[in-house]
Amino acid sequence: MSKVVGIDLGTTNSLVAFVNGGAPAVIPDESGDTLLPSIVSVDEAGTVYVGREAQRRLLTDAARTVYSVKRFMGRGIEDVRGEERWFPFKVSGEAGGVVRIHLGGRQLTPPEISGFILRELKRRAEAFFTREGDFDPEAAAAVITVPAYFNDAQRTATRDAGRLAGLEVLRIINEPTAACLAYGLDKRHQGRIAVYDFGGGTFDISILRLEDGVFQVLSTNGDTHLGGDDIDRLLVQMVADDLGLDPAAQAEAVQAVRKAVIQSKWDLSEFDETHIEVAGLPGRAEPYRRRITRADFEALIAPIVARTLEPCRRALEDAGLKAAQIDEAVLVGGSTRIPMVRREVERLFGRKPHTDLNPDEVVAIGAAVQADILVSGRREMLLLDVTPLSLGIETMGGIVSKIILRNSTIPASGSEMFTTFVDSQTAVDIHILQGEREMAADNRSLGRFKLRGIPPMPAGLPRIQVRFQIDANGILSVSAHELRTGIEQAIEVKPSYGLTDEEVERMLIESFEHAQEDVDARMLIEFRNEAETIIAATEKTLRRPDFTEIAASLLKPEEVALIQAALADLKQSMGASDRNVIQVKTAALNQATHHLAEVMMNWTVQAALAGRTADDVAAKGR
Amino acid sequence: MQPDTNAIPIDPCKHCGTEAPVDVHFCPRCDRLLTLGRHGDYFTFFGLRRRLRLDVKDLEQRFRALSRLFHPDYFHNAAPAERLASLERSSYLNDAFRTLRDPMARLEYLLKLEGFTPKESRDATTKVPQGLLEEVFELNEELEAIQEMRAAGESAAAVALRLSAARRPIEANLARHEEQLDALMSAHDARLEAGDAEGRHEALIALRTLLLERTYLLNLLATVRREAGAGEAAAS
Repeated sequence: MSKVVGIDLGTTNSLVAFVNGGAPAVIPDESGDTLLPSIVSVDEAGTVYVGREAQRRLLTDAARTVYSVKRFMGRGIEDVRGEERWFPFKVSGEAGGVVRIHLGGRQLTPPEISGFILRELKRRAEAFFTREGDFDPEAAAAVITVPAYFNDAQRTATRDAGRLAGLEVLRIINEPTAACLAYGLDKRHQGRIAVYDFGGGTFDISILRLEDGVFQVLSTNGDTHLGGDDIDRLLVQMVADDLGLDPAAQAEAVQAVRKAVIQSKWDLSEFDETHIEVAGLPGRAEPYRRRITRADFEALIAPIVARTLEPCRRALEDAGLKAAQIDEAVLVGGSTRIPMVRREVERLFGRKPHTDLNPDEVVAIGAAVQADILVSGRREMLLLDVTPLSLGIETMGGIVSKIILRNSTIPASGSEMFTTFVDSQTAVDIHILQGEREMAADNRSLGRFKLRGIPPMPAGLPRIQVRFQIDANGILSVSAHELRTGIEQAIEVKPSYGLTDEEVERMLIESFEHAQEDVDARMLIEFRNEAETIIAATEKTLRRPDFTEIAASLLKPEEVALIQAALADLKQSMGASDRNVIQVKTAALNQATHHLAEVMMNWTVQAALAGRTADDVAAKGR
Repeated sequence: MQPDTNAIPIDPCKHCGTEAPVDVHFCPRCDRLLTLGRHGDYFTFFGLRRRLRLDVKDLEQRFRALSRLFHPDYFHNAAPAERLASLERSSYLNDAFRTLRDPMARLEYLLKLEGFTPKESRDATTKVPQGLLEEVFELNEELEAIQEMRAAGESAAAVALRLSAARRPIEANLARHEEQLDALMSAHDARLEAGDAEGRHEALIALRTLLLERTYLLNLLATVRREAGAGEAAAS
């Protein structure tokens, strides 16, 4: 039987997971990686690269490489003004229409680019099933996760991306809810749970109630434009100002800076200080180097962290709960590794949040669990989610009349009566909106449609009932009928920030073939991936604030020089097209760092033991 | 929607044609999920009498049990008619639960269901209910006085004090209304159990008046809050 997989289509990384015999697990690629960087690059020949190879191409061919495409899903050009200057690629689009991203000679929509990522995940899953000796390795369908606060256009764009990748999208589910599903799997957990989901590009808070295996979302709130990306941009800006970089003219240099600041952001979750180091900048012989402490970092990001707290308070209010009534808080998303974020969440909910689940993998696991529920029809667990935003229509004077309120459990429906204003009027214009504001212009336009075929009658006499249905995916459909005559109206909604069905069909046919199937090219990429992993690990160790101390007492003086030489050598060979060269140099660095790895392991164990002893003493003293 | 009290509406099963009352969820013959009829009401859907005092825990349990019966997750591979039935029935269930869970929404719904659709409800925010005339008159005078105080440059603290004093009688009245509503809802339920149709009718009429007044009082409080907010905005 073909498989249904769970997919976390993330801003920074994407993952695919599957439930095998009741046990959900993330599916790794051939070299054991579970995370696929959500980056797509197209070279001159039209070959599409997805993942780590595309990530490397950011440093060499930035203008043909797209990252964080999720921020553009279901959005218009006016939504991304101001931030597009930090992206290496060009974006365009008509006001009120879908964004187009320029890649080489082509213009692609965000669903097409996300489609490439999904297709790579599908391929990864199928390769895995084949390796496992499965008779039917096809991954034909998927459950895909989206931020809880995604609006209708963003959800629809995600569904379109799935279709473009050749996947049947069985269900769109919300990321925090998926995480909770994975979290509540063991059924030990009951009560009220807050899921704080701070990812690469989006922030969500969901309050759930778990009882008898029913996961009922009470309220949700968030910001679909707030994440680790924004933290990275602050750091990039800081360094760019130091260097006087022009993002428009020096895209590759900006990307090198971005890579370095992300690394230091990660370091600062572990250490009190680190260095931002960028080598190979144009016009500079020496690498750029700047010391940054955790306190500096926290001062910089405090406004961003603060922006996550207001949605939390609103979600609590909507759920009718006080922070103290929350039984457990769960952290999801890479940005929750930041100590300051953990501290703030702990302060808000007055309890230590759970961090025992891998914040990168938990959403994909939840998606796989939901996929399993759909396929198996097992009823022990049930997910009841809500719609994050109110749905309404524009009425006289540009005011919104709400038809389905935010935080309504989905599926949900609502209806509204319309009539005519002029004798013999046969059509009425209807404008659908999503949001909480009073005036239509301040809300998100989902689409407009014309109700046609109203039987000619005196003004005010026709009674047209328009029915809005939000399905379990959080996606809207509209139907209408005239009550006096019973005539059903054909409705075609022109999506404001989406693609029409015809456009999706055309893209399906047009979509160019993945040229990555070449075995040699794939092997080269795998060797590069492996080399990159060991480079990153070695550099991280060398940057440790306590490294000089460790080296002085535990390493031979020439050892450090040898490691640095092997490291430089491997970095030099990364661009080589001969995979054997990379393989040999990787082995050399591996060899050179063998003793260092042992020393570091012992050092960590010693430190951990020392820490525990101190705690024990303190506990006994009390 | 006017309830049809005479006829028992019947919708045939789309699969086998067997007819069943609308609030039977599954076809008695072929056991398939039935399409939602156009009639019926939230109470019968949950298998409840039209009581105004509900045990919320019991309601929640019924909600979860019914969700488990017809959520779209479980009809993924079903025929299109049954899939649609699942979608409609789940939507209706969710609407019903949201309404019945909240005592005031529940009361409003029951009044509508029993044909007490008050024409006045549309004017509830503009037209002053008879019982509140005096109160509204006094509050308006007081608010005017407060605005004059502010214009005369009185301290923010003094204005705030007077505003909170203006709130107190309204809040007290609101509390009295809630108590009375509570008592009347219990009375309504007792008469329903006793089969006292006339007494029940009287209770509903009284409840309608109280509900309208309560809505009006809440709006008055919102006005005072806005006034306080305007003061703060001016002060900062």
